[in-house]
Amino acid sequence: MRSVHRLSTEGGGFVPPSSNDFNLPPVFGNSAYTTKPILLVFLSVLLVSVFFLLASRKAAIVPSKLQFAGESIYAFVRNDLGRDVIGHEFMRFVPYLFTLFTFILTNNIFGIVPLLQFPAMSRVSFPYVLAIFTFFVFHYVGIRKQGLRKYLKDIMFMPGVPKPVYILLTPIEIATFFLVRPLTLSLRLFANMFAGHLLLLVFILGGDHLLKGVIGLKLISPFAFAFGIGLTFFEFMVQCLQAYIFTLLTALYIAGALADEH
Amino acid sequence: MKQDEGAAWSIFGYLLSGLIFWGGAGWLLDRWLKTHYFLLGGLLLGVGASIYLIWLRFGRE
Repeated sequence: MRSVHRLSTEGGGFVPPSSNDFNLPPVFGNSAYTTKPILLVFLSVLLVSVFFLLASRKAAIVPSKLQFAGESIYAFVRNDLGRDVIGHEFMRFVPYLFTLFTFILTNNIFGIVPLLQFPAMSRVSFPYVLAIFTFFVFHYVGIRKQGLRKYLKDIMFMPGVPKPVYILLTPIEIATFFLVRPLTLSLRLFANMFAGHLLLLVFILGGDHLLKGVIGLKLISPFAFAFGIGLTFFEFMVQCLQAYIFTLLTALYIAGALADEH
Repeated sequence: MKQDEGAAWSIFGYLLSGLIFWGGAGWLLDRWLKTHYFLLGGLLLGVGASIYLIWLRFGRE
């Protein structure tokens, strides 16, 4: 114990990052509405809007680089997430899917953009709201398409099962469609962003702390920073993947609600 | 491939629902009757029912 104590720095021990690091104070004023995550969300809306307005403004047959970038993202969402998953009625849902994908992607990537460096989706309320949107969209679509009775019947009663078994299966179906789906959708995004940000904090703050230690610890410090940098690239992958998964699952839920028999 | 990915998440969702619902029912029974084996029974029942449901949905073709 004593030797461990000698190794640590003089002024206080290392304070490991915790969930407290996600409760940020207001950037200005004293309002709960001026915290960093909320301002970042506004910034992301602004950035996404401006980017796609600029990209689509002077649309030409031979696209500029900006137009090409904008159209690539749009085509990816429309074709890979809309058309391939939902089928022939997909165009109605492309605006929602596209908004969802670009919004989540931008906010996630803010987690590794220097100076911003905070993924708003690591505050659980944001993913909750997005999942609530998806929840209402896919149920509404299903009810509109098939009528309330048939839609609920399709969810609750799997065909080709002896009647008594429904006592066992129907509660599971109801729990899946009305509770587990929105919950897993939001928590998956939240947990990935939360864990990713925490991981980066551990390695970067840890490296910084080691740098202030005795010479032996100073030598280890670059490894912590190197890990931090490596994990930043890894985080970029996770951030893109989570935006994709959220949109893909939304599309799959819509497709399931549209299908006559899911 | 996207449908497979969706299926993987649905399977996960069904297992979770089964565990939550029937496990929760067992837990409540345990609290009500002051016993301690309905929770385990409920969890097992939930997993079993979920796997049956998953088989019905994805394994039947």
